[in-house]
Amino acid sequence: MLALFVLVPLIAAMLLMAVLKEHGHKKSKYIAAAGSLAAFAIALLASYGSYTYHWFSIASYTFNISILVAPLNFMLLLLVLLIGTVVIIYSWGYMKLPSEQRRFYFQIIAFEISMATFAISGNFITLFIAWEFLSLTSYLLIGFWYQKDSANRAARKALTMIFIGDLALLGSIVLFYNALGTLEFTQIISSVGSGASAGVDAATMLLLVAIFTKSAQVPFHEWLIDAMEGPTPVSAYLHSSTMVKAGVFAAILLFPIFQATNTLGIILLFGLVTALIATLCALKELHIKKVIAYSTIQELSIMFVAIGIGAPLAAIYFFFAQTFYKALLFFSAGNIMEATERDYLNDASGLTSNPLIYYTTLAGVLSLAGFIPFAGFFANEGISNAVSSNMNVYLIMSLISVLTSFYIFRWMFYPSRKPKADIADRYSTQPATMVLPMALLAALALLASAFFFMISDFISYGNYLPFLSGLSLQINIMDSAIFLVLITIGAGLSYMAYVAENIAGGPLLIRIRDMLYTNPLVNLFYRAVYGFTYEVAEAASILDTGISDVFDDVGLLTVYSGNAIKRLSVGSINLYALMVIVGILAMFAAFYLTVIV
Amino acid sequence: MDASFILIALALVMTLGSILIRLLNKKTLLFAFNCLMLILLLAGFAYFYYSGIGTPPELIVNTFAINPFSIFFGAMFTAGMLLVNMLAEKYSENYGDFAIISNFALLGMYVVSSSVSLITIFVGLELATLPAVFLILLSRGTIEAATKLFITAAIAIAILSFAIVLLYGASNSFALKSYSQSTIIAFAALLFVAALGFEASIFPFNVLIPDIYTGSSAYVTAMLGGVNKKVGFAALLQVLLLVFITNKELFLFVAVLSTLTMFYGNIVALLQNNTKRMLAYSSISQAGYILIGVAVASQAGITAAIFQIFSHMFIFIGMLGILAFLESKNRKEVNDLIGLSGENSLAAFSLSLFMLSLIGLPLTTGFVGKFLLFLSAINAGLIWLAVIGIINTAISVFYYVKAIMAMYANKEGARHLSMPLSLRFVVIICILITVIFGIYPGPLVNLASGAATYLIPK
Repeated sequence: MLALFVLVPLIAAMLLMAVLKEHGHKKSKYIAAAGSLAAFAIALLASYGSYTYHWFSIASYTFNISILVAPLNFMLLLLVLLIGTVVIIYSWGYMKLPSEQRRFYFQIIAFEISMATFAISGNFITLFIAWEFLSLTSYLLIGFWYQKDSANRAARKALTMIFIGDLALLGSIVLFYNALGTLEFTQIISSVGSGASAGVDAATMLLLVAIFTKSAQVPFHEWLIDAMEGPTPVSAYLHSSTMVKAGVFAAILLFPIFQATNTLGIILLFGLVTALIATLCALKELHIKKVIAYSTIQELSIMFVAIGIGAPLAAIYFFFAQTFYKALLFFSAGNIMEATERDYLNDASGLTSNPLIYYTTLAGVLSLAGFIPFAGFFANEGISNAVSSNMNVYLIMSLISVLTSFYIFRWMFYPSRKPKADIADRYSTQPATMVLPMALLAALALLASAFFFMISDFISYGNYLPFLSGLSLQINIMDSAIFLVLITIGAGLSYMAYVAENIAGGPLLIRIRDMLYTNPLVNLFYRAVYGFTYEVAEAASILDTGISDVFDDVGLLTVYSGNAIKRLSVGSINLYALMVIVGILAMFAAFYLTVIV
Repeated sequence: MDASFILIALALVMTLGSILIRLLNKKTLLFAFNCLMLILLLAGFAYFYYSGIGTPPELIVNTFAINPFSIFFGAMFTAGMLLVNMLAEKYSENYGDFAIISNFALLGMYVVSSSVSLITIFVGLELATLPAVFLILLSRGTIEAATKLFITAAIAIAILSFAIVLLYGASNSFALKSYSQSTIIAFAALLFVAALGFEASIFPFNVLIPDIYTGSSAYVTAMLGGVNKKVGFAALLQVLLLVFITNKELFLFVAVLSTLTMFYGNIVALLQNNTKRMLAYSSISQAGYILIGVAVASQAGITAAIFQIFSHMFIFIGMLGILAFLESKNRKEVNDLIGLSGENSLAAFSLSLFMLSLIGLPLTTGFVGKFLLFLSAINAGLIWLAVIGIINTAISVFYYVKAIMAMYANKEGARHLSMPLSLRFVVIICILITVIFGIYPGPLVNLASGAATYLIPK
């Protein structure tokens, strides 16, 4: 099973780094890149198939480690390893402190291994193991700069949030096993359609909680925004092909489960709500990385909308296309923040002074907004074709595409302003390893559009996942035209508001622009949006605020009861004897009531 | 038959020999002797297992039985005491006395795990528990802790003997076998749960246990929580499954007690600032998880419970090893863990790994054990119990992660703390067991399932 061998060079790289001596730390970046590249090369040679290895059995239960390399899994595996390699090379320039290099590359390879294992997992056991290690390694990477309090807090928030999802997944797996008698995906997919039981419904709901926490959907989205505390290459990796994509991927892979249990509507609803909230938040956000983070949440929810409306293939293509431009935009954000030493859009400037960075960024922005001929256009086409059957969804999605185009161009127009004195030089002296990967990704963001016409044949090849056969993606000329007009309007408005201040209609837009930040009513609205999502997050998971606050938040009841118990337990021996006697009497009484009477 | 006598002889040579060598006042010699004897005993158990002795069960002088259960638990206790001895040799001021007393306790553990009657269980339990009182006093533990242990043990003895008397009165027998059900026997069952509930740290019979753990030195706590409590479980499993298996209501009670124990342990652990106290409550909650398997009382459930008992023993001893190390540096609070990774990376790594395993990190024994427990509960129709187990796991994430975060937080001016070699050895053994049986649980699951088959035939 060649696919499993992709892990070999990665593990070898980890071991090599583990034994590096102090003065050899500089070598770790080459080891990591070589390991990742070798894994990618091996993955290219891998063939489709599935493989099961017996792990252990107990009573009537059998536990297997299963590998499934269907075209869908193969696609994710390649993306993970390719983007992983690119991210490592970008980090050559980004991670400058020699002292933290070994730790960084070690952790990022561990993260890559977890995600690669996730990509080829063929049953719930393998998936859970990979899922759990993803949580752990992402926590390490988000909190990489643990000296910073904010990073620490963000990592803790992410970990608690995600652990809740992990536990939900564990519960869901146990329920699935009990209801269906198997944990193999292929068997679950084929057997779930025939008469779902109550156990399967509960299992599906828990699975959704796990998926939504991993993919940062409302109300579990807060952690992803805070996760911006991690190094930028980590953000790029996290948002493009790993971690947050894991949830969507699981939802696509297990699509028949949701179909059989009639939970697609729930996915659609959560997707729409999240998409709206994330778009509104992105409009107002000024932190360079956080704008793109909100856009990731929005893109993930668009994929959920596609899944929820019953078009998994559209979601798959969006999944594929989003990878490249998202990594590209994070790379670009890293360059802007490095060169200007500013974190906020309104302080940044001078993007145009390095043409390579500028044009690749432009390619990323055009792709994200959905302009032809970039992959983003085709991705959005697939989606709008899928949702066109439902007028309400279609209208919401159209609104979202205008706003998306608006905020992403704003994101680029701010740093493109005339630079202050020395900033232009700093752009042009950015290390080549931080610029060239952007060119590669920009090319891929363009080339990926060709895949639109092949994806249907590619995904259904070999018929490993029968529910994906027979689906296809089309372009509807009318839809495309409307879509292109909409995003052009968004981009135009953005241009008028942020660049051409003195053209006709400009003053009005400037007033609108200023209103966005200063008008008390707008602020009130935003506070309400933030507040609402925050409250929902709180209600859905009291754990959102992180551990240190838990004593305030868990609810007074637990603390009071805990204190009461604590007082009891440090009490005297008399009290203990009393408790034993009360305990026994209570048992007697209960016994008497339940058994004898 | 002959082979079994060799094992008994070995155990006796160990206890008596250690007394003689103690008179020579040579600590190293005594330690070497003790380790040698424990390793020989382990080898003996391994020989039993591989030569198939004990299937079918073999009686020795009509008092003890060699069976898969006694072999599994005997070997497990021996291994646990071997590790505890290594900790004690390093951190005890009078290792000689520790060795003698702990050897007697080990004898008691053997008696419990291989008994065929309630009387031997009773004797064995007291032999295993009471020496611990002296160990606490010898280890500069507080008199308060020793007194508390003594008195709670005395209450447990009283209840246990009353339960045995009730059973004997109703049936004229002390044998570990199923009796025809009557109200008297059902009451006796509840008293057994209460008495053994103290030994296995089950709510509400466990409320003084954190005091006792906190009042003793860490290596004694390692023995109390890591080994002695498991003896309580060995007794509980035998009594409940061999004697009361037909009493279905009793197992519902056990399920309720399991719920209470889990909530009690986890919620109170949230509020602790003292590391050892936190771990004491965490071990109580672990007892609650183990009880899930007991309450299920199916082949799978008991196998899972035994697996979890094994897994927790090594995790607990490993954690208390690190705590003994920290205690010697006078760092007892959770806040004192801050920056541990900068001072000793092995200590921070291993303590984090153990805690993650207790939460249920895959590829460690903690995950396999918990997964099997929840699965067996759901399969037996006790979905609510599995849900409560999962909720409790979620609660426990907080205090474990709090400790882990503290260890990996940055601390200015951290100096390297070196860890004694023997402690490093103990910790690495515990890590290896946790990880190897987590990646490859097959053999251990088979062993546990063999032991479970003795209690609850397929």
